[in-house]
Amino acid sequence: MFRYVDCIDAGSVYCPCELATKGECIICSQLHGKEFCDCLNWKGTCIYQEYIWNGGKSNKTREFRKYSIINKEYLRDDILKLDIKVTKSLSRNLNNLGSFVFLKNEKDIDPYSIPISILDSDVVNNVISVVIKKQGIKSKAIFECEKEILVKGPYWNGIQGQKYLKELKNSSCLILCRGIASAPAVLAAKKIIKNNNEVYVMLDRGRSRENFAKPYFISLGCNVEDVSFLDYSGELKEQYKFEIEKLLKKWNFKTVLSAGSDEFHVKMINFIYNIDKYINFATVNNTTMCCGEGICGSCIIKGKNNEKIRACKQQYDPKEVFLRGISK
Amino acid sequence: MKVIVIGGGWSGCAAALEAKKCGADVLLIEKTDMLLGLGNVGGIMRNNGRYTAAQEMIALGGGDLFELTDKCARHRNVEFPGHKHATLYDVIKMEPTVRRYLLERNINMMFETRVVDVETIGKCIKGIYLHDGTYIEGDVFIETTGSTGPMGNCLRYGKGCSMCILRCPSYGPRISISKRAGVEDLLGMRGDDSYGAMSGSCKLNKESLSNEIREKLEKDGVYIVEIPKEDVNLEKLNIKVCQQYALKEFAENIVLLDTGHAKLMTSYYPLEKLRKIKGFENVRFEDPYSGGKANSIRYLSMAPRDNTMKVTGIENLFVGGEKSGLFVGHTEAIVTGTLAGYNAVRWGLGLKPIQLPTSLAVGDIIAYENDMKESVEGLRKRYTFAGASYFERMKELNLYTINNDIIEKRAKTLMMDGFFNEKLI
Repeated sequence: MFRYVDCIDAGSVYCPCELATKGECIICSQLHGKEFCDCLNWKGTCIYQEYIWNGGKSNKTREFRKYSIINKEYLRDDILKLDIKVTKSLSRNLNNLGSFVFLKNEKDIDPYSIPISILDSDVVNNVISVVIKKQGIKSKAIFECEKEILVKGPYWNGIQGQKYLKELKNSSCLILCRGIASAPAVLAAKKIIKNNNEVYVMLDRGRSRENFAKPYFISLGCNVEDVSFLDYSGELKEQYKFEIEKLLKKWNFKTVLSAGSDEFHVKMINFIYNIDKYINFATVNNTTMCCGEGICGSCIIKGKNNEKIRACKQQYDPKEVFLRGISK
Repeated sequence: MKVIVIGGGWSGCAAALEAKKCGADVLLIEKTDMLLGLGNVGGIMRNNGRYTAAQEMIALGGGDLFELTDKCARHRNVEFPGHKHATLYDVIKMEPTVRRYLLERNINMMFETRVVDVETIGKCIKGIYLHDGTYIEGDVFIETTGSTGPMGNCLRYGKGCSMCILRCPSYGPRISISKRAGVEDLLGMRGDDSYGAMSGSCKLNKESLSNEIREKLEKDGVYIVEIPKEDVNLEKLNIKVCQQYALKEFAENIVLLDTGHAKLMTSYYPLEKLRKIKGFENVRFEDPYSGGKANSIRYLSMAPRDNTMKVTGIENLFVGGEKSGLFVGHTEAIVTGTLAGYNAVRWGLGLKPIQLPTSLAVGDIIAYENDMKESVEGLRKRYTFAGASYFERMKELNLYTINNDIIEKRAKTLMMDGFFNEKLI
């Protein structure tokens, strides 16, 4: 049975990583306790060879560095946008689908480190923008940062099913957004449009009068529609079921990006799959992450065959995780 | 009926061709941009018992590819240590010739396409998945993916990737389809009980040799020069795939054969040492590119099979070439591939797959290799018509002959002349 398995770091400067040293590499069978090659997904480089040639060590992992906050803007009482001046290489590395960083206030201890998606990366001025919603202890600590902040990155696994977004060319894509999860969808839209695709965004305002991401989507040239997807019981409103179905027929979308909570993914993917099972899905990655290196295990979810997925590093097919009660 | 052949080496080409001749709709899938796989750096046909095997296949109607290798011959009747009446085909002309031949016969081919997984129902393969997730269904499947590489194996069991013609970094690794379908691979062993074996020859760039050597090679097909005493390395013979060439003469001499490139009959040879020999001062490797350091590792992925070439434990998967056993060489790949192609179509039609009679060398080697694989001792050996223990057996059983009339008579007596030319559908 074919499994869409990918490690976002495979073949990068961060590969082989700590998982390889402990026999837990996501891709390489030889670095996963086996004695013979059985590559799960070839990325153009042999991880085992890289590991042996590296003297049986992992490559250096990412570390926190201190950068300046050049702009701090409250989009709502509990939603903060930060513009951070970083190095050229970091801004360039973060100008990719699914990019995120770990942020931390210098005075706080390591457990405060929080993964935050990149809203935009300005590679000319080397400025990254992030949007943070005040939710718990870690996000509250970021709100306290004034002039400087610690940033650890780049990480790229903020969107699952990236393959389906990357292969879109001269086509169209539907983005369904709700809440703070719209931030990674903005950067995704930028990348999708670069490949000459049209992007249609259904943007849920949530509790605000307007979603903070709207001006970004509009400036990128997306078709944006304000919506309020859910009724009081949290179900998808009939009006939008009808609307989505109409859009799918009209635009002939090959891929849909769902940018909301995991419950939102489940609702959208199951609804759309019932209309057209050949549509591919990408989803914003909402897994709990602590270390971002697959080590701590907080990101581990179970796949459809009960296999462990280290969701901070591993790419999966969102259908395999979010489709419920439907045999494919 | 749709037959899908996975792997476009000599064995896969033979299987695809035979399945097509039998009347099936054939799709051949190859991971690189060329057919023939390691056959692109082969070249030696008809040496010793391979002559008999090639003529037997021609008599049985399965000789198309042998006729093509004869057509692309640079030298016939070449002798070199331990080997007689060899034909050396031109490795540069061979691939396009075979490709055109298959295209003319309307065999569908996909290049730069890698099969990575299967979908099964019970013990039957229903379809295959390509590297990009594309799903293709078929009725019968033939796996001829070989047993060489990928890079991790060449590193663990050899001396690392030597950049051979299979070009794993460019086209991705070989995947064992039988294993994906749930059948464990068998592994070949070396004298020291480790696994796998190293390819036994490299190719030197002919232009980089002295005029004298080049002229001699092109005239005679072979050039032999003594290795300086201090550089003789007899141990290298133990790791070699090609036991027919693991003779003392090959350790003490440089043996070059003209196959378009200059085929150097040793697994690898440090460039510095090679350049010490007269006429080799400017020499460089053509394949593997790092032939000064290492060569590819093979025999790490064989599927258990019966003598009809069907994989044990899977209903509709057949195998040929190195995937089907410890066979060495293109002749052996073509023989096993042809039988796999033929039997795949029979299976698809609901007919019982057949075994080749052991009164023919081509039938005997298939049965003999299968028996020998049962023991550890047998897993250390390689099986080829061209030498080592199997050629001895051919001689003992009176199977070895270079008399074409005798071979034709054998086929007629068995009422099998033209057997592989019969259309089944």
